[in-house]
Amino acid sequence: MATDARNLPPARPAPRGIGWSLLLTLPILIWSFLMFGNPQVHADRQMHIAGAITALFMTVLFFMMMRTRATYRWRRIFFVSLGLLFPVGFIYNLVLVRGTMGIPIEEMIAGRTPFCFMPIPLLILPAAFTRTLVFPGSIASNSHGMAAMVGIWLAMTLVLGKGWCSYACFFGGIEEGVAAIPPRAKIRKLDPRLRLVPWAVLLAMVLLSLALFEPAYCMWLCPFKAVSEYVAARNLLGLIQNIIFILLFAGLVIVLPFLTKKRTQCSWFCPFGAFQSIFNKISIFEMKIDKDRCKPCLLCQNACPNLSLSKESVARGETLMSCMKCGACVDVCPREAIVWHIKGTQIAWKPERARLMFLYGAWAMAIMFGGSIIAQGLAAILHIVV
Amino acid sequence: MKLRPILGYSAATATLIVALITPFLLFPLFSKGVGALPLHVDEVYSGGPKVRTIPMGAYSIDVHRPVYPHMLQSEKPFVQIDWSPVSALPQHVSDAVDIDGDGQPDIRINFDVPKDPKAPLRVDVVSLNPRYQAMQNAGKDKFSRLIVRVDNAILVRVPLRNP
Repeated sequence: MATDARNLPPARPAPRGIGWSLLLTLPILIWSFLMFGNPQVHADRQMHIAGAITALFMTVLFFMMMRTRATYRWRRIFFVSLGLLFPVGFIYNLVLVRGTMGIPIEEMIAGRTPFCFMPIPLLILPAAFTRTLVFPGSIASNSHGMAAMVGIWLAMTLVLGKGWCSYACFFGGIEEGVAAIPPRAKIRKLDPRLRLVPWAVLLAMVLLSLALFEPAYCMWLCPFKAVSEYVAARNLLGLIQNIIFILLFAGLVIVLPFLTKKRTQCSWFCPFGAFQSIFNKISIFEMKIDKDRCKPCLLCQNACPNLSLSKESVARGETLMSCMKCGACVDVCPREAIVWHIKGTQIAWKPERARLMFLYGAWAMAIMFGGSIIAQGLAAILHIVV
Repeated sequence: MKLRPILGYSAATATLIVALITPFLLFPLFSKGVGALPLHVDEVYSGGPKVRTIPMGAYSIDVHRPVYPHMLQSEKPFVQIDWSPVSALPQHVSDAVDIDGDGQPDIRINFDVPKDPKAPLRVDVVSLNPRYQAMQNAGKDKFSRLIVRVDNAILVRVPLRNP
């Protein structure tokens, strides 16, 4: 039976009519221009142009999702663009304002270290026990403040759950892009126990952050320091930190995704991803496998970029809690056995309705958060080129 | 229709509504809520609250409360002293500072004030009270031992001897 399923071509659901697709895209078009069309927000011309391009880009991708009924490949275009343009906009601003990618100690003392979402789980225990935030930033709710990032993360987590890692994370796109380059994986046999490593990293980093009173992951292990901002190498310690960042980035974000065609940093290392998995339990949207239709060919397991499917989970009819809701498994299933699902409803009962309900929320969030980052990156390029 | 699907669709609709109100209502609300929590940035970074201002004519010296790092933190205890505004400082500052407010100077601090705001700073600290450590030609080596310029102030952090 498994051989039969393997011989089937990937599911190609009939494309939706152009009229229907346009109608379904209309709310996203309105939302895009609502997010990027405010001239007061984007005072300079380059930002205005970048906002318009981003709005159009996000709308076209959503239209293609509606037209083709496929999710993954269109989402991936957005996500890779986000991953590539985030460092462009971020580094451009750093160099403009500060003159360097290294964080000078003055900026830390002034509380001007930009705060990304990665340290959120690391701050919880020190804050709970001592009311202290162990991060050299500002708690203010302005754009670089911790309150703003925590606020946006909270709101988006309510909507996306672990989908944050597919529709919002501005780091994961680089490795997803690298993983898309080779036609076939060079390393296919992956030890399933590696899935537990992010939980171990999370536990170690949370306890270390409490013990050392510093955001331990940011100080020592974040691979993305290599493409954002790093600890200025004032001494040997700083030099060692920067070497670790570069090696982790090269290994986990470039080399291993190329060899395995997986998001290896996300699957095997990222403590924030492990933390975010917890919120999949409260998310109303999930992926389910219709066991009546599934002939376990395991194409879905091979397609999953995050190792969120195993033989056992497929047999149970569900994904693992690390599922990022990227849609790769749904798109590849030749029997349409994996479906988008709303908890509490019958499996495979109007799955397209569940997909649409999830995608409207997820894409709205992606436009608001990721879209603005894409626009900043484009504006930076326009500033440099024009 | 049974209750569970009704609850499921209601929750999915509520999630969609949450997405739509996020930029206008939820994000500002959550941000303000988090900002209003009784939390503070670790004093090793912020330098601790100001406890005293010493007027020095055209400029003033702010003395902060001593900062005692937590048990396993790599920094030493220190006290931060700020000189501001930078524009009113002489080319060379040499001030005796009474840190603990007992009327006796505790340290004498000497540093040059370069006109270029990005020029590196160096400081010498002579200890007049054994509680405060002397520093020679210190730059910005550690959070507990430094001289830096932040906006319109020059900050010096003097390490304390272990009590």
